[in-house]
Amino acid sequence: MTSQKESTRTAAIIAQQSRRAGGMLLSGGTIVALLLLIVFFFAMRPETFLSFVNVRNILYQVSILAIIAGAQTIVMVVGDFDLSVGATSSLAGAVTAALLIANNPLPIPAAILAGLAAGLLVGLVNGILIAYLNLSAFIATLATMTSVIGLAYLVTGGTTVFGMPPEFNELGQGRFLNIPLPVYIAVVISVIIWALLRFTTIGRRWHAIGGNVEVARLSGVNVRWARLLAFTLAGFVSAIGGILLAARLGSAAAEQGGDNMMFSVAAVFLGMTVLRSGAANLGGTMIGVAIIGVMSNGLNILGVNAYVQQVVTGLIIIAAVTLSSLRTRDR
Amino acid sequence: MRRSLKTAAALVAVAALALTGCSSGTDTGGGGDTGGGDGDPFKVIAFTSGNQTPVGAWWVKAVTAKAEELGWDLTMIQGDFDFQKMNPAVESAIGQGADVILDGYTDISSIGSIVTAAKDAGIPIFAMDAGTEPTDAFAVNITTNQQQIVDETVAAIADANGGSLEGKTVMVIGHDPHAGIRLRSQLAVDAFEEAGATVVGGEPQQVTNPATGRTEALNFVADYLSANPNGLAGVWAGWDDAALGAAQAISEADADGVVTGVDALAETIAAIQSEGNLIATVEQPWPLVLDMLLEEVLAYLEDGTLPAENFVAVDITLVTVDNAADITPSDKLG
Repeated sequence: MTSQKESTRTAAIIAQQSRRAGGMLLSGGTIVALLLLIVFFFAMRPETFLSFVNVRNILYQVSILAIIAGAQTIVMVVGDFDLSVGATSSLAGAVTAALLIANNPLPIPAAILAGLAAGLLVGLVNGILIAYLNLSAFIATLATMTSVIGLAYLVTGGTTVFGMPPEFNELGQGRFLNIPLPVYIAVVISVIIWALLRFTTIGRRWHAIGGNVEVARLSGVNVRWARLLAFTLAGFVSAIGGILLAARLGSAAAEQGGDNMMFSVAAVFLGMTVLRSGAANLGGTMIGVAIIGVMSNGLNILGVNAYVQQVVTGLIIIAAVTLSSLRTRDR
Repeated sequence: MRRSLKTAAALVAVAALALTGCSSGTDTGGGGDTGGGDGDPFKVIAFTSGNQTPVGAWWVKAVTAKAEELGWDLTMIQGDFDFQKMNPAVESAIGQGADVILDGYTDISSIGSIVTAAKDAGIPIFAMDAGTEPTDAFAVNITTNQQQIVDETVAAIADANGGSLEGKTVMVIGHDPHAGIRLRSQLAVDAFEEAGATVVGGEPQQVTNPATGRTEALNFVADYLSANPNGLAGVWAGWDDAALGAAQAISEADADGVVTGVDALAETIAAIQSEGNLIATVEQPWPLVLDMLLEEVLAYLEDGTLPAENFVAVDITLVTVDNAADITPSDKLG
């Protein structure tokens, strides 16, 4: 009888430990995936993949995506999402570039401020539509994305704008300690967003709204104002990414940042699996960005067809979201 | 109630009269007989899916200006690469009747329903750069010589490598959804392999989205060079935007290797003139092609004469540092 009880207790402990291990695997799945990708590509190309040049290359390639994914994280913390971040970034880059090569060109700081203002304005419009006119984030940002792409075509005249001053291009192409400047800028912006979300009142309010909007409202949070701020800030940060992209490529075109929207959402979703709560978080987003960057770079080095890369990217996003939903169900 | 009925009846009558008036003098049967015989303007439908590209935008302006000059009744349909929107609009215009249809830069593979509607209505389609092979779908399709594009750009890369590509490694960047780029990038792979070069991956590296083509090309080349420093003798890109990204990647890696493109954009020409690693592009003479096409259209409208051949490939010009100053960039045509 006693031995029966003991074996039952042992089975219960084993089951509990298995559940805990399963839970850890779920919550750590994204990090494990990143590590596995790094190990896999390192094993395939040991002399190349983790070399300084290639790691720098990966960081350079994901730096602008990291900035735009940071913008996406802000609105996704609030429980919304922004389909216009890519288009906003393109518009900001186009405005800055167009003002720099106009017949009476603006000084570089003024042109950059104008680009940032364009992004801020798009974010503000999104915020008003969503927070004050109660449009769904999907509809509102889809609509602004469409209009903003049109505006970018108007600004560029449908062509690629180029010939900006070398000092401007240096922002995207210059190096400090042999590391490209966009990498530093992405790190600084990411740290600022992380601190904003973690240590400030507005950050806590955004988390509260994302957790439960009704509870947040009943707790005295001005939900509309907070959502407006989130979208406005996302527009502004996206504009920084777009201006850097224009400087990095030395040119601006109406849709050159378009794919950053899809990848930014993917990065945030990947990052959401890192936390037990399943909430958007900046650290997780950066892991998501790293997965996208490592995968793209590794598959390119292995010579994998770009179409296959697209399929693999989609599958990894599905896997991440499935992991996330499994954990939510477990809770 | 009675008054409302009378008002409605009057409105219907006015609308019917207006519609009758609108359609008078037009061959609504949509037959292939050339119109314009009784002083009525020729009805011309023109469509392009590429109106958001610089060359497509130029084509819209140029055809509209020509139609005004010739007194045509022009219906211009701009598709924005959205065939679900463009094709029904063109078919609807065909249903209203026309003498001629003009296709600018829209590949035959995307307009099957338009071709069928035009055939049913007996209206010939005169096309430019709408496919890479002869087809009965068009009265004529005038485009550029893809083989010549490849021959001259591959020769430019060979010249920059001391005249021989034997044992060298090159990258070819393509975009298969575009018929012209698909054909010429495959021809380029064949040409490089025939010259003894190794093509990275044995096939064109595929850019998935032309809007982000420059970044994608930059990443292809940067990733390859980080794994194989100085491993490329050249990059052949099927269009200029990708070529500019590839050239930037080579510069950033401080690597050797030259790049060629196709399109003769202003930015590419400026890069060629700066004598960097982007050594050549290709000018496709679109104004000349349009003139040739309109000549065929006018002959048809005059007496129903159809072109002798349904596929014409015109010569291109290789743009290098020697002639770059004399070339009108394709994004500055109009």
